[in-house]
Amino acid sequence: MQAWWSALQQRRRDKRFLKKLREPEFVFLADAKSRLERKEFVSLDCETTGLNPKQDRIITLSAVKICGNRILSSQKFNVMVYPEISISEESIKVHHIRHVDLQVGEVLSERQAIEAFLHFIGSATLVGYYLEFDLAMIDRIVKPWLGSGLPNPRIEVSGLYYQWRQQQHRDSMHNAHYDLRFDHMMEKLELPMFSQHDAFNDALMTGMAFLKLRSLLYGDLSAH
Amino acid sequence: MASEQQLQFLQQISPFSSLPIKLLSQTAQQLDVVYFPSDSVIKEFDSLFIVIKGLVKERRGETVLGRYAGGSFFGEQLLLGKSAASVQVEFLVEEEAILYSLPKSQFAELLEKDRGFYDFFHSSIAERLDSLYKTQQMASATEVMMDTVCLAPIRPLLKVKASASLAETAQILRKNAGDACLVEFAGNLPESERFGLFSSSDLLKALAEPKSHDEFSIHKVGDYASRELISVHQFDFLFNALLKITRHGIDRLVVRDDQGFIGFLTQQDLMILFADQSGLALIKIDQADNLHELLKVSDQIDRLIDNLHHRGIKSHYIAKMVNELHRKIMQKLVELLLDSSLRDKVCLLVMGSEGRSEQILRTDQDNALLFADDLDKEERIKIDAFSDTFSQALLKLGFPPCPGGIMLNQPRWRQSYSEFCAQLHEWFDQPCEESFMWSAIFSDAECVYGNQAQLENLKKQLFSSLRNQPIWLHHFAAKALQFPTPVGFLGGLITIKNQRREWVNLKKGGIFPIVHGVRCYALEAGVQQTNTHWRIKALMDLEVFEHEFGIELGESLNFLQGLRLESMLQQQGIEEADSESIDISVLSHLQQDLLKEAFRVVERFKKRLSRHFKLHEVL
Repeated sequence: MQAWWSALQQRRRDKRFLKKLREPEFVFLADAKSRLERKEFVSLDCETTGLNPKQDRIITLSAVKICGNRILSSQKFNVMVYPEISISEESIKVHHIRHVDLQVGEVLSERQAIEAFLHFIGSATLVGYYLEFDLAMIDRIVKPWLGSGLPNPRIEVSGLYYQWRQQQHRDSMHNAHYDLRFDHMMEKLELPMFSQHDAFNDALMTGMAFLKLRSLLYGDLSAH
Repeated sequence: MASEQQLQFLQQISPFSSLPIKLLSQTAQQLDVVYFPSDSVIKEFDSLFIVIKGLVKERRGETVLGRYAGGSFFGEQLLLGKSAASVQVEFLVEEEAILYSLPKSQFAELLEKDRGFYDFFHSSIAERLDSLYKTQQMASATEVMMDTVCLAPIRPLLKVKASASLAETAQILRKNAGDACLVEFAGNLPESERFGLFSSSDLLKALAEPKSHDEFSIHKVGDYASRELISVHQFDFLFNALLKITRHGIDRLVVRDDQGFIGFLTQQDLMILFADQSGLALIKIDQADNLHELLKVSDQIDRLIDNLHHRGIKSHYIAKMVNELHRKIMQKLVELLLDSSLRDKVCLLVMGSEGRSEQILRTDQDNALLFADDLDKEERIKIDAFSDTFSQALLKLGFPPCPGGIMLNQPRWRQSYSEFCAQLHEWFDQPCEESFMWSAIFSDAECVYGNQAQLENLKKQLFSSLRNQPIWLHHFAAKALQFPTPVGFLGGLITIKNQRREWVNLKKGGIFPIVHGVRCYALEAGVQQTNTHWRIKALMDLEVFEHEFGIELGESLNFLQGLRLESMLQQQGIEEADSESIDISVLSHLQQDLLKEAFRVVERFKKRLSRHFKLHEVL
């Protein structure tokens, strides 16, 4: 029932995207057939100038493909974006990216970064932790340009985690409030923590959490 | 920048850690992360897997070939094409695993581009072992202990003829700013008696004797020189030099090379190099004048062992050093506790592993006391009282009592020379389990204090009894086969499950058969040494063992003892610790390989032993 419903939703989302799409070059984002064949997932994360999607901008954008039980960290996507506004003091404290750091190495403009990103993800299912925020940041650039936000299906890792915790307590009277903080989730899942607040490491850890939760919730991976 | 995590991870793992940074970061870029839930089987054979977290078991049929936990890697056999039976090898995930996978192409590139990396995967076990030690030793670049003597400041050699006068000698010393010289005696003397040593303290002694100034030009230096020359080879380890100096209580050693003497090494210069605890511990024992101070030193020794082990010093050197310290402690105890009139009438023995200098941490007291036949009743009472306080003192110092009662406070192990001699003959005439055990322990005895001649005579009796009753040795040797070697037909380790962990008994499975087997060969060949490594060396010199086999046996023993020490250090403070075994899941991939190889050597040695002593006829 659920699977059927979400498949229907997805078909609608793809359709809406194709209808509104102004740049025909990007039809592949909604290519349902290749999505079905390739069964690819992309775990993504970005670091930003602040926490308001309307005002703030992306500084680094990282993504990594997941194929079967394998996180293809060797073919990662990792770019730095030149933000047109200044980075807030609070966020510098979190991700340790200062203005000067953006003056070394290759830094792309927002449009260049997102274009490369879209080619990287293709029609894959997007995976993230509080994905909504990252997607809002991305859609802020994509929408005025392509005419519509990203059509890709998405999986919220904190949602999977919540589901798993609930399943664990299904038989008890325990009506729990679950702690969904990232480090807490990684600890409960007994997964190794890499140094956090580096977009790539976060994407990688989110990917691991995804693989483990998927196996815990749905069993054998090869069936997917 | 994004592969920082992977890079740091690889830097912890040998042999990746020795790759140049450029190649290493290129490798880090190539890593994928793979996830396997518990009980799944890994079927991909096109990459090298490195465990981030979890536990993976390698098996062929029912035989477990290896276990890999965090930081170890597997799959290289298949990539190298070494494992022909690859189809049958299976990797089973025992505990949910997160792995890095390194593609075959990158692995091949590393093999091609880096000589060290290539050697690591293609070298024999003995070479690998050495490279393991080397990497461990790199971390201890400051450790001078294992440096060779020739790296220390060696003072130039001065030589005078024995016929030179004291005055002439003093002038030579003054001119060369030396404080000692070699004295060469004329005439047809054997090599060991051709040279003596004359130091500035000998000069002082000569000065102290009342004589007129003129006599210094008449008296010959040869009459004042010390004829006992203690020397050390220039390629020997510095800590052996330190041991010689402390053991003989001298100020300097004569350094020699293969041709002859080349210079002096003084205690003073050596102590500057050894400005760490090991040297200090030796000195402190010397200075202690009550039990309380000894107690403090013995605590330091434990910390010292831990420290040395982590610096990658081979276990038999640590053992040698520690045993020397233990012996010093015992000597000091005798001096503190025994009436001075009795000191040259007794002979204090350490036996078993302590006698072989293979004891690492303080374990059971295995000791005995011989005394002269002509003691009167009063003196014997004093000896008895001394024995009790001595055992108590050792107990306080952390040497637990021997459960088999092999301690000098037991009448059997505290006898006069003749009584003990009679007992020795009894062991041979009435062989039984106990007499075999006692003979084994006694044959490793060394004299720690007192009249060494008593022990030497007893050992002579032992060797002659062996010659008269060769069949005794055959039965004795059979004991080496009493425990099976924990390695399967296909080369996998046989383990014992306990508390959800898998253990291998290192002592029964490997160390004991080697030690006892070598003991049998040594007794048969009349080798005087007690330390197993020295026995092996002596047997190689006598051509009882081929050179290659001897080296292999020694290295295997070294490795097993090293692992055992590691396990003992880890289990220290744990109740019901099993000091004989090791939990194999804590071993790296390389260590597991080496362990299997070591057991294979043990197995070969047992076969050889069985043929040599015709054990199939005995058993």
